[in-house]
Amino acid sequence: MGLLRYTGYRLLQAIPVLIGISVITFLLANLGPGDPVSLMLHGQEHDQELIRAIEQRYGLDKPLHERYVTYMSGLFRGDLGQSIHHNRPVADLMLDRIGPTLLLVLSAYAFALVTAIPLGVLAAKRRNEPTDHVSRLVALFGVSTPSFWIGIVLILIFAVTLGWFPSSGLIYPWRPPSTYRSIDGHLELYYESFRHLLLPMIALGTLQMATIMRVERTQMIESLQGEYVKLARAYGVSERTILRKHAFQVAQLPIITIVGLNLSTAIGGAVLIETVFNINGMGRLFINAISQNDYQLVMGITMMLGTLFVVGVIITDISYAYIDPRVTYGETD
Amino acid sequence: MSSEPLLRVENLKTQFFTDAGTVRAVDGISFEVYEGEIVGLVGESGAGKSVASMSLLRLVERPGEIVGGEVTYKGETVFGLEEGPDGELREREEMLSNEAVRERIRGNEIAVIFQDPMESLNPVFTVGGQLREVIELNRGLSKEAARAEAIEMLREVGIPDPEERYEEYPHQFSGGMRQRVLIAMALACEPSLIVADEPTTALDVTVEGQIIDLVDELQAKYDTSFIWVTHDMGVVAEICDRVNVMYLGEIVEQAPVDELFHDTKHPYTRALLNSMPRPDRTVAELEPIEGVMPEAISPPSGCRFHPRCPDAREVCRRVHPEPEEVARADSHPHNAACLKHDAFDVGYDGSAPLEGDPRTTAGGSGGEGGE
Repeated sequence: MGLLRYTGYRLLQAIPVLIGISVITFLLANLGPGDPVSLMLHGQEHDQELIRAIEQRYGLDKPLHERYVTYMSGLFRGDLGQSIHHNRPVADLMLDRIGPTLLLVLSAYAFALVTAIPLGVLAAKRRNEPTDHVSRLVALFGVSTPSFWIGIVLILIFAVTLGWFPSSGLIYPWRPPSTYRSIDGHLELYYESFRHLLLPMIALGTLQMATIMRVERTQMIESLQGEYVKLARAYGVSERTILRKHAFQVAQLPIITIVGLNLSTAIGGAVLIETVFNINGMGRLFINAISQNDYQLVMGITMMLGTLFVVGVIITDISYAYIDPRVTYGETD
Repeated sequence: MSSEPLLRVENLKTQFFTDAGTVRAVDGISFEVYEGEIVGLVGESGAGKSVASMSLLRLVERPGEIVGGEVTYKGETVFGLEEGPDGELREREEMLSNEAVRERIRGNEIAVIFQDPMESLNPVFTVGGQLREVIELNRGLSKEAARAEAIEMLREVGIPDPEERYEEYPHQFSGGMRQRVLIAMALACEPSLIVADEPTTALDVTVEGQIIDLVDELQAKYDTSFIWVTHDMGVVAEICDRVNVMYLGEIVEQAPVDELFHDTKHPYTRALLNSMPRPDRTVAELEPIEGVMPEAISPPSGCRFHPRCPDAREVCRRVHPEPEEVARADSHPHNAACLKHDAFDVGYDGSAPLEGDPRTTAGGSGGEGGE
């Protein structure tokens, strides 16, 4: 099977998954306690006339299955509906907020990969030596500490006590904020942006770093014991080349899987980190939408996360097939 | 044959320091390899054959360590210890450094054909790329020249369409084909000595025959010396010039191949030959060696083979025999480490046979430790 056909096949497979996600989310959002209208009408909950008018406007008076069909038919036309709370199209709201979240998640991953891979390789190379023990402690700390706690501690130390970094907000290098008009030149903008990003990036990336580091270590140890490493040694290949090329290349395959599958976990973590660092991203939008029973917005964000997850898995599989020559596209033996 | 051997191994000792104790995997073996020879290293699994052959390249992995003896290759000291002024053993001054062994010996002087063709090639690089890398490294050729050489070697070992196969990955090759690639890799470095570590054990019998024929043919063409590590006496008879039989870390018999088969001097060698399946014998006529080889962590006292030996006497339990010349053939000594020979004057003839002679309990389960 060719790469294109395989990709098409996998995308088709994703459709039932996404429909499943939509049904479950729709039911959970709509069957949960509370309703958006009474929340909206602070103090005027008894005005039946007004309630009915609003319900009619947003189609909330119709039966559940009818509302679902309406929603889905809109979705297929690319219409995510209207947010009840914000009174704006859901798609617009999401577009506004996705930038900071993507910036946060991608930089957290960059941080995790850049630190975890060399540390994992080093720990494998110096197995059972002090370097390895220290890396094990760091990893243990990383996987067992909640990211929001790390965030709060980082704020306490580096923002409050030392005052090195700001404690809240993000600055986007692509959209200079109005208050920073004094900033001249891109370099300073990038620098400010990085200063704001650093703490939340570390807070969000630590869990990923710890996970990737441990897997990297295990994979490298296994790879270094491979027969092909013995062969390379017997033919005079230097330890350095063996570590960086022969053993390393084989060990990276599972890392791709972790990165692909953990992407949704990282976005989930971003929700908390955005709250701690007061970042106006998708995560906070989501949390507020849930507490306000903003059905359309909850649906919109969930569908987007679901799609991201499914696409992430597909990209993982495809890149796997690219990198590991033994993997073929969906062929069966 | 020149008088100076290509490789001389003297009293080589390699031990593994494990939590359970010290494993004396190779315990003082000595042998030579002359130019153009195929020398066999035979024994059951666990006898120390592979460790011995890896020790020649100083490729023993922790917790293993070469603790004694001398390995001389073309007059250079690959390994050698001497007693320092403080009475401690130390590395001899002329011993090659790790770098020198890696750059000058491994690959370009002594190449290895590994046991497991399925695992020995790296799964994520092309077969051609792996060959090319080794050729570049060991022959100092440019990328292009090394590529051409790699394709030429693939053709030489009988791989069809070498240009196309060059770009393929190991999983696209069969076991026999991969073994051919490993042979090509060894020969492409133009070494003077190739250590073949059970290269046919993992292969089908038909493929095994092809590979042995191929090696025989190429050996004649390139005049490379071989150390052939195997547990298969049949293979030994087919290709070896001289043979070393190993038992529990020691060489117990050493002879030119015809002498070894026709004038066997050690009971262990005899037992190995008798346990070998042959077309003219039924399974019932096979004589498995009784018991299993003891662990090298606590070898038996005296002669290490005595608990399984049909000829064992009381003295064998007490006296440990070092190999002695017991006969001579074609200017090569026939050495054996068995007290029953006259060269050992320890009173074997007057000694009482051991009780519980294994022969009287023969016919039971064959306890030979196979692969």
